[in-house]
Amino acid sequence: MAAPHAEDASVPPVAPPMSPPCDVPAADIAAPATLPNVTQALQKGEKVRILAIGSSSTLGWGASSKSRSYPSQLEVILEHALKGVDIVIVNRGVAGEVAEDTAERIKSEVALRKPDLVLWQLGTNDALARVPPQDFENTVRSTIDWLKDNRIDVVLVGVQYTSRLTRDPNYVAIRDSLQKIAAEENILYVRRYDAMRFIAQRRANLQLMASDNFHLNDLGYQCMAEHVAHAMIVSLFVKRLRPIQN
Amino acid sequence: MRAPNEIDFWRGFALVTIFINHIPGIYFERFTFRNVSLSDSAELFVFLAGCALRILVDGAARALPAQWLVFRLEARAFHVYVAQVFVTEMAIALLAAAAFLLDAPYLLDWHNTSAVFNDPVRAHIGLVLLTHQLGYFNILPLYVVLLFIAPAVALLHRYARVLLPLVSFGIYAWSLISGVNLPTWPVEGTWFLNPLTWQFIYVLGFLMAGADGIGGFARRHHSVLRWLALPVVLLGAYVAFTNFSPDPVDVPEPKLLFTFDKTFLAPARLIHSLALAAIFAGTFKIIRPWIPRSSEFLCLLGRNSLNVFCALSLLSLMGQILRFIFGGYVALDALIVILGILLMGFIAWAAEWRERLRADLAKKPDLPPHSSAF
Repeated sequence: MAAPHAEDASVPPVAPPMSPPCDVPAADIAAPATLPNVTQALQKGEKVRILAIGSSSTLGWGASSKSRSYPSQLEVILEHALKGVDIVIVNRGVAGEVAEDTAERIKSEVALRKPDLVLWQLGTNDALARVPPQDFENTVRSTIDWLKDNRIDVVLVGVQYTSRLTRDPNYVAIRDSLQKIAAEENILYVRRYDAMRFIAQRRANLQLMASDNFHLNDLGYQCMAEHVAHAMIVSLFVKRLRPIQN
Repeated sequence: MRAPNEIDFWRGFALVTIFINHIPGIYFERFTFRNVSLSDSAELFVFLAGCALRILVDGAARALPAQWLVFRLEARAFHVYVAQVFVTEMAIALLAAAAFLLDAPYLLDWHNTSAVFNDPVRAHIGLVLLTHQLGYFNILPLYVVLLFIAPAVALLHRYARVLLPLVSFGIYAWSLISGVNLPTWPVEGTWFLNPLTWQFIYVLGFLMAGADGIGGFARRHHSVLRWLALPVVLLGAYVAFTNFSPDPVDVPEPKLLFTFDKTFLAPARLIHSLALAAIFAGTFKIIRPWIPRSSEFLCLLGRNSLNVFCALSLLSLMGQILRFIFGGYVALDALIVILGILLMGFIAWAAEWRERLRADLAKKPDLPPHSSAF
């Protein structure tokens, strides 16, 4: 897809409506935060390169095909919403990986691919491996700071809602830790847990999980992509109302 | 059973460190040397593997004709390859059993195992081809590749000595500059430890262990090198302590040359690990009188590094499962570390006991031949 002209980029993007099964209140998805590097790429009419990294939810286990993973669907949604913009999302999910190992890979991938934005899905495996929340927080914070120093935007995609783990203290601690990091670092954090819980409670007949009741199914990944897209586009729109800070 | 020596001692040390570092979140991880070091036990392990190859090539295999040398080294590579496939399958079974018994399907995701359960046809091909690797089980695949190229290293050293460092460095530099790495399959990605770059530290270990060439030079000027290495090691400690990492945006192309990347063994990590080797080479004879029993124990582990490595890989996974069940408490972490290290020692002791028994039985001609077949 061709890059847009600068004048096209001045038109504020509009968050696409969510599909009925995935529709949740915006407040249950994310608080908007600036994405200065992506905004700048859009204003210059450049291709937007996104690195989607994380574990099985990024890789797309449980989906019927690779094209149904959340990064693949997100690419389509973003290109449709940001008309004329070339979005390229590279999927680097590794199932079952803890944040410390992903942080190591982020540094390699950033040096090789120079993305404008890193979408980092994380938390579940650290909670299950009983990584102390403080260690988890230190790893995530130092990686976010490193990405900021490199003028790369970062979006954290949090843990999923699953009835099996709602009362697991580590799971709750890691979820809270992500919320705290995002607020203090002033970065976009997609609260997947809250969005999925909303759907589970309001539309109990909808099945977002695969048969193992842990990985998402096609609909689950569709909702995940829609929620991330919504959070990103709202943040880009908010950004347009403010001067760019670099 | 060979006498305690420096290589076995440090190899044993690397094995204990790898065991602890492979249990994410464990309390005792903070006491491992990677917290005050830019490079970690993976570099140490591969460097020492290169040293061990040189000792073999210059020692027991010196008189072997080229074809028998190749045969011997490839047989060893195949042995390690079989161990890698076996230990990976054991890890998969361990996770499957834990997921089944604990009714915890998410354990089937750990360490990239999910492809085995969700895409078994392609994943099993990938496991055999080493293109599908489990997280924390990715040092042995690198070691297998290095052992498969060991005959090329040995033959180049024998017949075109000057070419060996040049070819090895050329491949290292090319991979760093181009960013080329081996692909993984069926999960799209690349090897966590890129053999194209990590072969260089293996070859450097090989060269450094020799009495001539670079190794001879290093020995002759060891005191000078040690002083030169000291600021590098101190800088590495500062970098690790402050968690500093260069910003790829600010460094010139090719960026991998200037980062601290582990996958590609960035030059900074390589130089740091060589500096560590320069500092600590020769210290075994100083350390040993101070901690004789621990030194003997680490040498025991180092002498049986393949068995111990396989054991520690599974023991660290068991430790992770125990932490998942009971939570990450310091007392449990202490128990995991103590039991794990003791079991590693037992595995090494059992391997040597078996060797001794075999040797003893071979000396008794009156016994039936099948009695030595343990």
